[in-house]
Amino acid sequence: MSRFWALLKMLLINYFGISALQIKDKKNRVKYLKKLGVGIILVAALAPTVYLYTWLLIQGFELLAPVGQEGAIITLGLVMVSSIVFFFGIFYVINFFYFAADTQNLLALPLRGWEVLGARFAVILCYEYLTELPFLLPPLLVYGIKSGSSLVYWVFALIGYLLTPLLPLSLASIPTVVVMRFANLSRRKDLFKILGSLLVIALAIGYQFLFQKSGSNSMDPVFIQNLLSDRNGLMNLISRIFPSTRYLGLALVNAGSAVGVMHLLQFAGLSLLAVVLAWLVGEKLYFQGLVGSGETTTRRKELEGKDYKRLGKGAPATLSYLSKEIRLLLRTPPYFINCVVTNLLVPVLLAVPFLLQSHKQNSPIPWEGLMARPQSQIVFMAAIIGLVMFLAGSNAITATSLSREGKEFFISKYIPLPYKKQIQAKLLSAYVFGALGAVLLIIAARILIPLTISLISILVLVSLVAMAPVIEFGLLIDILRPKQEWVNEQQAVKQNLNVVFSMLFALLLGGAILYMVIRFIHSPFLAAGFMLLCFGLAALTLYYLLMTWGIERYQNLEG
Amino acid sequence: MIEISKVSKSYNRGVNKAVDGVSLSIRNGEIFGFLGPNGAGKTTLIKMIIGILHADEGSIQINGKDIRIDPLEAKMQFGFVPDDPNIFARLSGMEYLNFMADMYRVPPALRLSRMQELLKRFDMSAAVGDQIQSYSHGMKQKIVVIGALLHNPPVWILDEPMTGLDPRSSFDLKEMMREHAEAGKTVFFSTHVLDVAEKICDRVAIINKGKVVFCGSMKEIRAHARENQSLENLFLEMTENE
Repeated sequence: MSRFWALLKMLLINYFGISALQIKDKKNRVKYLKKLGVGIILVAALAPTVYLYTWLLIQGFELLAPVGQEGAIITLGLVMVSSIVFFFGIFYVINFFYFAADTQNLLALPLRGWEVLGARFAVILCYEYLTELPFLLPPLLVYGIKSGSSLVYWVFALIGYLLTPLLPLSLASIPTVVVMRFANLSRRKDLFKILGSLLVIALAIGYQFLFQKSGSNSMDPVFIQNLLSDRNGLMNLISRIFPSTRYLGLALVNAGSAVGVMHLLQFAGLSLLAVVLAWLVGEKLYFQGLVGSGETTTRRKELEGKDYKRLGKGAPATLSYLSKEIRLLLRTPPYFINCVVTNLLVPVLLAVPFLLQSHKQNSPIPWEGLMARPQSQIVFMAAIIGLVMFLAGSNAITATSLSREGKEFFISKYIPLPYKKQIQAKLLSAYVFGALGAVLLIIAARILIPLTISLISILVLVSLVAMAPVIEFGLLIDILRPKQEWVNEQQAVKQNLNVVFSMLFALLLGGAILYMVIRFIHSPFLAAGFMLLCFGLAALTLYYLLMTWGIERYQNLEG
Repeated sequence: MIEISKVSKSYNRGVNKAVDGVSLSIRNGEIFGFLGPNGAGKTTLIKMIIGILHADEGSIQINGKDIRIDPLEAKMQFGFVPDDPNIFARLSGMEYLNFMADMYRVPPALRLSRMQELLKRFDMSAAVGDQIQSYSHGMKQKIVVIGALLHNPPVWILDEPMTGLDPRSSFDLKEMMREHAEAGKTVFFSTHVLDVAEKICDRVAIINKGKVVFCGSMKEIRAHARENQSLENLFLEMTENE
């Protein structure tokens, strides 16, 4: 077996826990069944959303087919998947290429840069194939079945499914490898790993906006009329966000004809070209970005009396515990990227294009008139609160709180700080970043839409209450099943299902309450009151659970 | 002092008994070594003493405070040095020490003088401003020892403390353990190396397969081992580890 395949096999077993399937003893079988159970719960929890998405696609197909634009549903799926693969890819690449501690061990083996990078790329690709499933499978199936496509379509669809993540993932890895190469030149490795990651994310956002802008510039009525008169013109428009998807879209729509084959070849060619580029860049720069990246710098400065006085200030124990939590979140690159940055990314994503837009250009949406209507205000409030809750659920601060402690958990067990206070400090650490994210989000919304002071105040208040149950649920789930057996920090946050559970909880709770608000309430103040009541009650219930069952469970966890 | 009374702990629903009916009384002013081969149950017992694990049966008191009934007061009585000093890698040494001092509520004036004294003693004054991840294994061990001693605990508990220390630091640590005991306080530490115990302990207990097979001075153990085949075998096993 070549070194590349041996390495890939080892990584796949390691990251996907495949070895659990091979061992026949009872203990591992139970472990495997538990994993399977968790998987089934996740699929069941996602099912309603996928069902709704599929239903919308079917409606879309039926609506668009008479005007010859039905291919747009495929492109929509492809664009969505490519964008998701690209954004998730950035995080995956940063985590798997640079934050995984085992990369340092691999440096000692006689492996080439492309072999290590290629094997890791393949592991991420496997994750991306799973990510693709709920987004791309429904449009491919809907189009294939509804248009009565031939066998060639299904073959093309399979090839397309496998090829789709290659280009966005390569696009995610190339700038990461380049930026990290130069971040590694610095003496302060941790700080520059964080700054480097932020730069790559900024580049990714910039790239997306560049293409979005080129798409939105042509939204005049005449253009749209021409667009709709052209068969699958809508498809071409949507694909501008991720241009390569146009070829696969055309290949699928024209499956069975020479044009289809040509477009598939174009798509495959582009995808492979991107992989080759990533491979070349990886071979050249990957190891240079890795060697010595685990080094640390020291000042070794003898302290004097005044230094002791400055440094040795006391603080109340709970505050000290909170400050330890925050320091570790800010200083540990995988925690910073996966727990802190996620809070700030969405507000930035929302605000940047509108800040960049010239002020002379009128917004395509008449916000002022729209926001004067109570129902619009309610929908707008629900959207912001939903986002705040989703951010609180996906930032992973509480959902990985005990997990992140890993082997150090014994310290929390033997220090003389009550478990109650430790739980409160952990909640507070998530609350600090959650509140920051919410405030930024509301500021971003204010840039976009003219909001009254009273609406802003309501939004801030409801946001702060709405994120509480999500944060509390995250901690509850992490106390129930902390993932403390990890070898590198990124596993604690990136490969931790508790984060998914926390996200799902945010979606379910937020979805249910916000649906009721939009559907049944017609006064913004009443809507705010209802949300405060519901989320407040949920927060109090979960807090009570944490302070009773949570403390008992924490007490019984073995360090 | 530490009073351990009929303590048992088992895993896998009682199948593996890690600690089996252990009773020990560790007095003030003594250095007590807890000896045994790897996997004998030393770490499990230490984890129960410091409150990380709960005993299935029996009770543990530290300076008269029961670790189950009054855990916070019991935890205030001891300072603990774990066997693995790889902790809080991204905090600076000073931040870690302040964190520990805050946990044990050491007043600012007292913590300053204790920090200065201990850092100087362990030759860590120049490194304390740097992140712990930049330290060598021995330096990490030292910062953890300093953190455990900041509140001047009546009981000092150490799990395999000599592992990874250079001869000089090892000597210093033994000296400090002796001073601690001479000040009328208790030192309790585990080791699987007989030589370490022989040099500094006033009394030792030997644990094997979860049971204390002997407790007394090193002199008494040696005499007893000559008459007792199984104890002698145990001795040989531990001597091989040196």
